[in-house]
Amino acid sequence: MRSWDSVEAFETFLDGGGIVEVDDRMPDVFRDAVFAFIEMHANSELMGGLTERDWIPRSPGVKNKMAILAKTQDEVGHAHLLYMVAADLGIKTRTEMMEDLFAGKSKFHNVFHYQAVTWADQVAIAYLVDSAALMSQQAVFKNCSYGPYKRMLKRIIAEEGFHMRFGEERLLKIAEGTEIQRDMFQGALDRWWLPALQLFGPDTRDGDVLLRWHIKSERNEVLRDRWVQKYVPLLTSYGFVIPDDHLRHDEATGRWEIGEIDWAPLKAALANAGPDSARRIGNASKNWHDTAWVRAALDEAAA
Amino acid sequence: MSGVAAGSLSDGTREFLLCLADDEHLMGQRHTEWIGVAPFLEEDLALASIGQDELGHAAMLYELLSGPGRDIDDIALGRSAGEYRSCWLVEQKCPDWSDALVRHWMYDTAESLRWQMFEKSSIDELRGIAARALGEESFHVMHAEAMVAALSLSSDAHSRLAHSIAELLSLGVAMFEAPAGELDAIDDGVVSTSMVTLLPEWQQRVDARFGEQDWAAVDTVHQNGRTTRSDSFAPMYDVMREVLLIDPEAKW
Repeated sequence: MRSWDSVEAFETFLDGGGIVEVDDRMPDVFRDAVFAFIEMHANSELMGGLTERDWIPRSPGVKNKMAILAKTQDEVGHAHLLYMVAADLGIKTRTEMMEDLFAGKSKFHNVFHYQAVTWADQVAIAYLVDSAALMSQQAVFKNCSYGPYKRMLKRIIAEEGFHMRFGEERLLKIAEGTEIQRDMFQGALDRWWLPALQLFGPDTRDGDVLLRWHIKSERNEVLRDRWVQKYVPLLTSYGFVIPDDHLRHDEATGRWEIGEIDWAPLKAALANAGPDSARRIGNASKNWHDTAWVRAALDEAAA
Repeated sequence: MSGVAAGSLSDGTREFLLCLADDEHLMGQRHTEWIGVAPFLEEDLALASIGQDELGHAAMLYELLSGPGRDIDDIALGRSAGEYRSCWLVEQKCPDWSDALVRHWMYDTAESLRWQMFEKSSIDELRGIAARALGEESFHVMHAEAMVAALSLSSDAHSRLAHSIAELLSLGVAMFEAPAGELDAIDDGVVSTSMVTLLPEWQQRVDARFGEQDWAAVDTVHQNGRTTRSDSFAPMYDVMREVLLIDPEAKW
């Protein structure tokens, strides 16, 4: 177990590339910040799985069903792993975290406050949301100063890569498909473009402790722009229209410039007041309540 | 007899094999409905994994029936309701966890017996599928058995499970009803015996786990050789085909 005399000494350790382990006597402010970050990631994996599970029974074909089931299983599996990493920090147990989530007391990413209304939304989630999440996670993994999280991210990133590939392959079929399919995806793109863009968050504030303590390695706006530069040309090359009236290609720089982002939907989602928040949290809470007898019986058996 | 080519299946054998394929397909479909909403995360993952196995078995059987290079969804999802050969147990929604667990126990216990009927099948591919399925089914049975055993220690859970057994027992027995095409399948050497011959062993296992049942009092379920569907089938059938029907020309 290592300890530091002051936050300044701890920060010097982090700046030198130090990796913090769970049994280190880390400053409480660091423990709290890392816990909140991992708890939100875990919640988001679980709620993301719930978004996608709506479409497993509706998947077009047995092979698609197996693929989307495996993907959803991965997401719930990530939640399972991340809750363990978060619980080890000694602030909340896994049950406390899940019960806070189902009571609407904690946060999960904005994109999972929306409903997937068609199969194309499922593809858009894999193509846009998973790619944005992967880009963010890779940036965290790069220099992450909390060892248990960094090691878990390595596995998660490997699996998220498959999810992105799933989205790419399904999108390609749609892009080369019928007019109905293309219209369906355009509808999904209209719904999911802004939430995916907002997944990166607003511009990073100066003095952000997550950057200072090497949990994050890049600013939100840098990651968001990198994603825009990659996905705008891909989507437009397939003939889809990005739902941004002010989007333009700067011929001088060769870069895509997006219009001003309305952050109100992000704020609403993070306050659990997004378009589908109440239904999502309500359903999850009801399921948790309905199966309480199983957990109680197993606790009784173990006692 | 061995080495019969899958392409030369008799109509009766094809119909018989559809029973297994449809059972695995619909059981897998029902298991997938529990991901994210099971009592705890490990159970979400276990049922998703078991559902994945069942869908995999269904896909292998549909491939056998479709022939090489053909789209299995033509059989898996392209038939009318009356052309399915699923047993009614797998068609049930079972939105209550106790029912879902008891159904899982009943089905996988039956599967672990049923797949043994194909160990000496005249169709090479079927022997391979059966060997793989038997390996996986043993884990499914272990999972169901461990969960039922642990829950049975609680009086509340025990009474819930007893209620589920009473609700589902007749459908469990109906899994073993001789399906259409069974006699042809036996004549062709595809399967070693009639499904109903497995029933006594299955009943013994039910008695051993859940207490002695009054088998004489169990209602008969009229599946008509699995040629008719239960009321639970239509809503599931509509959901499974929802996207495919939007555009019949589309490839997804």
